[in-house]
Amino acid sequence: MTDATADSFEVLGRRPRGPASFLIFAALLVVAGAVLYPVLATALNGVKDLSEIRTNPLGLPRVWMWSNYWGILTGYRYWQVLGNSLFIALFTVFLTLAVASMAAFTFAHLRFFGDKFLLNYLQLGLLFPVATAILPLFIKIRDLGLLDSYWGVILPQVAFSIAMAVLLLRTAFRQLPSELLDSAMMDGCGYFRYFFYITLPLSGPILSTVGIIAFVGSWNGYLLPLVVFNSESRYPWTLGLMAFQGQYMTAWQLVLAFITLTILPAILMFLLAQRWIVAGLTAGAVKS
Amino acid sequence: MKFRQLAFLAACVTALSAPAYAETHITVLHVSENAAQKAVWNKIADDYNAAHPGVKVEFKYLENEAFKAKLPTMLQSDDSRPELFYSWGGGVMQAQDKAGFLKDITKDVAPWESELAPTAVDAFKVDGKTVGVPFEVGEVVFYYNKKLFEKAGVKAEDIKTWDDFLGAVKKLKAAGITPIVVGAGEKWPMHFYYAYLVMRIGGEHALADAKAGKDGGFKSAAFVEAGKRLRELAELNPFQPGYLTTSHAQSAGIFGDGKAAMDLMGQWLIGMQGPNSTTGKGLAESDIGILSFPVVPGGKGKATDTLGGINGWLVSKSAPPEAVDFLKFFSQAKYAEEAAATAAYIPVVKGSESAFTDPLFKRLASDLAKTTYHQNYFDQDLGPSVGRVINDASVAVAAGEMTPEAAAASIQQAAEQQ
Amino acid sequence: MTASVSPPPLSEAGPSLPSEARGGLFTPASAVYVEPARRLTLNGWATIAVFLPPALILFTVFVALPMVEAGWYGFFNWDGYGRPEKFIGLKNYGYLIGNATFARSLINNALIIIVSLLVQLPLALALALMVAGRIPGAAWFRMIFFLPYVLADVAAGLIWHFMFDGDYGVAGAITGALGMQPYFLLADKTWAFSAVLIVIIWKYFGFHMMLYVAGLQGIDRSLLEAAEMDGASAWQRFWHITLPLLGPMIRLSIFFSVVGALQLFDIIVPLTGGGPFETTNTMVSFLYYFGITRMRVGFGSAVGVVLFFICVTFAFGYRRIFMRDD
Repeated sequence: MTDATADSFEVLGRRPRGPASFLIFAALLVVAGAVLYPVLATALNGVKDLSEIRTNPLGLPRVWMWSNYWGILTGYRYWQVLGNSLFIALFTVFLTLAVASMAAFTFAHLRFFGDKFLLNYLQLGLLFPVATAILPLFIKIRDLGLLDSYWGVILPQVAFSIAMAVLLLRTAFRQLPSELLDSAMMDGCGYFRYFFYITLPLSGPILSTVGIIAFVGSWNGYLLPLVVFNSESRYPWTLGLMAFQGQYMTAWQLVLAFITLTILPAILMFLLAQRWIVAGLTAGAVKS
Repeated sequence: MKFRQLAFLAACVTALSAPAYAETHITVLHVSENAAQKAVWNKIADDYNAAHPGVKVEFKYLENEAFKAKLPTMLQSDDSRPELFYSWGGGVMQAQDKAGFLKDITKDVAPWESELAPTAVDAFKVDGKTVGVPFEVGEVVFYYNKKLFEKAGVKAEDIKTWDDFLGAVKKLKAAGITPIVVGAGEKWPMHFYYAYLVMRIGGEHALADAKAGKDGGFKSAAFVEAGKRLRELAELNPFQPGYLTTSHAQSAGIFGDGKAAMDLMGQWLIGMQGPNSTTGKGLAESDIGILSFPVVPGGKGKATDTLGGINGWLVSKSAPPEAVDFLKFFSQAKYAEEAAATAAYIPVVKGSESAFTDPLFKRLASDLAKTTYHQNYFDQDLGPSVGRVINDASVAVAAGEMTPEAAAASIQQAAEQQ
Repeated sequence: MTASVSPPPLSEAGPSLPSEARGGLFTPASAVYVEPARRLTLNGWATIAVFLPPALILFTVFVALPMVEAGWYGFFNWDGYGRPEKFIGLKNYGYLIGNATFARSLINNALIIIVSLLVQLPLALALALMVAGRIPGAAWFRMIFFLPYVLADVAAGLIWHFMFDGDYGVAGAITGALGMQPYFLLADKTWAFSAVLIVIIWKYFGFHMMLYVAGLQGIDRSLLEAAEMDGASAWQRFWHITLPLLGPMIRLSIFFSVVGALQLFDIIVPLTGGGPFETTNTMVSFLYYFGITRMRVGFGSAVGVVLFFICVTFAFGYRRIFMRDD
């Protein structure tokens, strides 16, 4: 990464000197190793034969069955379910950011009758376990004619993300200096323009964070797509996994290989989001 | 475009779309990944579709847990409701009927239902009316490793009573062999022991009486005694180490690896022990023997009483008449014999057991044909709520976590809260 | 905490520091939001009318209404098929009182909260500080720490099941090396939950770390550099500048952590299934196993309602006391 981008990432003062820097790096490596080990084990088990998973789940494969991964990658199903998951997740992220940032902006800067009440109302969404509400939710989706359609999954997912997103975005929006808004208003800038030209561009990090959280939530979603989709052609990858489960045995090596392959797009999104926001921060400097 | 070309095009489009309008679509929703079973089913569907233009029967698969999670919502919606769907009978079927989702097909099946085993047919009746058609039965038996038995000097033919069985367990342990493998991590494998003990001790009316609340319901003597016997077995430490976290698939693999002598399990173990073993091949069928659950001295149950699943197709309330017609087609003897010949499953059509060539399946089928009393798995029969409590109680009693009396009381409490 | 110098207004001074190019966020004075004394203009009302409805409508239709209906089911004995018919009033709630498994679930949830607050969040903060600094490969570290959050529960549950396996897992390797009998942590009534806690820390610390990194990325570097030039040590800079400016984000992260701990469910199912002997249930896994899978949807809803009121009590108490100005 170039130094300019590094600048915007690393915010805590000068590079720590000598031994401190080394110690920190070593500590990070140790933690990273411990954290990564289970994920690596998942990936490695995807290269093993099924029988080896039972007797050697955490070691290197004795026989490297690359055909497991290759078979998945060359199959049509993988790309189809991946495409579905991507479509759903991207639209969920886009809509969540749009809808939640608008609402968060309103709550951050405008005082009106019932605003505290409405904010608390939205918060309630965090406090009730989703699993209980799946039956009435299904009926709503059905009555709106959204069964077996992507929107039947996207819209509820956006709705569920709103509570957390609004809270995070509102907190971040309020940490922009209030003098900015005052002077902007005195210059004749309305709320709409302020939102699009100042708030959003300055909120890169939090927008990217909320986007990632919404993406991951949608990407790993299982129960909602299960009750909404009937056509196999629309299955996201979490439902596509069912193909590996059988009566006599579950092909765990294929399940784990498949899951490993589906983490990759999520990682890609993560890196893209971080980079994109950084680019937004260093390019176009905001002058009044 | 010239008018004539346009007209021709229109005619083509109409001709192509016409069959779509007249076609009756029948979805048969199931959970099977058994290749042999699906081969038979696809053949039946193809034959039926060929013989009945305008009707399209299609088998559709959902994974087991996904099926159970999704079915309540599917039944709620006219678009997604399958015309026919897989069922284990018992409490869930009764709940589906009470909610009005099933069709009363008593009159439709009356002419031909006598061709099917009567216990199976009864299993798909609710309040006297038929709501579905069975196609498969199963039996839970002890599968044993012949070589390990030989090594310990145990003779299967000599195991007739519970005490004989405990003696065999001790002999196996003395020879350094794990006597029994059980996937108690999933709990239901342990309830096979408890259920069979109730049947052997209390006889064929034990469960029905308990459901009706006689003698304290599930706190009756039969259930408490069954718990005591189970605990008696468990105290011999017959299970593999860590049995409380072993999954069902792992237990099949352990049996297939020859690491344990016995496994009390349903018929799918035969096909399952190979793929789940370390070698991928498991035990050769000639090395596997079948042993019926022993009788308990002084008990009312007979050695010929059998515990096992009864599976079939339920008909949803909005299904067209062709759906029931398909079930009649499905239940023909010729397809049952094909299923038997390929050991796909054990069909309920009378007389089909002769078509079995596989010796293990042949034994199971003849047990079932001669059965004096066939009982569906307790955890299916009692419905999901009480069923789970029985599973929990079985493991708790075996592990010494609960006394047999407390276990029986917990089942009764769950039944009362239904 | 006050600064001796306020930042230059936007219209002057070119972007000599990246933070100024960004408009100089996070002046010390704005650690607390100053409520504007504005009356609501037409422009304000227009904003409300356009910006608020989409979120409110989506939320009401897909979250609020189903929640209310689900809560209503708590008064019924219902198996999930058809419509609820057997009205039993408060009986479901009666079954909860004195239910030992539910009591155990409450204790487990409390344990998760304690461990999260005492272990997970400080760990996340420490790591965030490290990876927000100038360390080579910081972005890669961030990605690695976030990875457990991304990994699907079914895979995480399976792998950790292997890790704790007495024969072949990490535990097996240890007991083997020490020449002891294989130990099955997940079958141990007393200690199985500690396994669950380990997995929870592993899975979610990355999420909180990301929140803190986002917060740190908004802090004005010039403040820290000015303090350093004034002779403040690293610890003083952290304690007097960074930490207060991170305040709102930390308080929010605690909020999410507690609420998330109360709602925890996804990792329990593939890891322990609530066992052994129902010692590792949380309230929501209890709801799932004893309500939904046993086709006692009414009972499950009652548990959901109880959980809801516990969360509401916490949420409103917490926000009143700790987040008054945020």
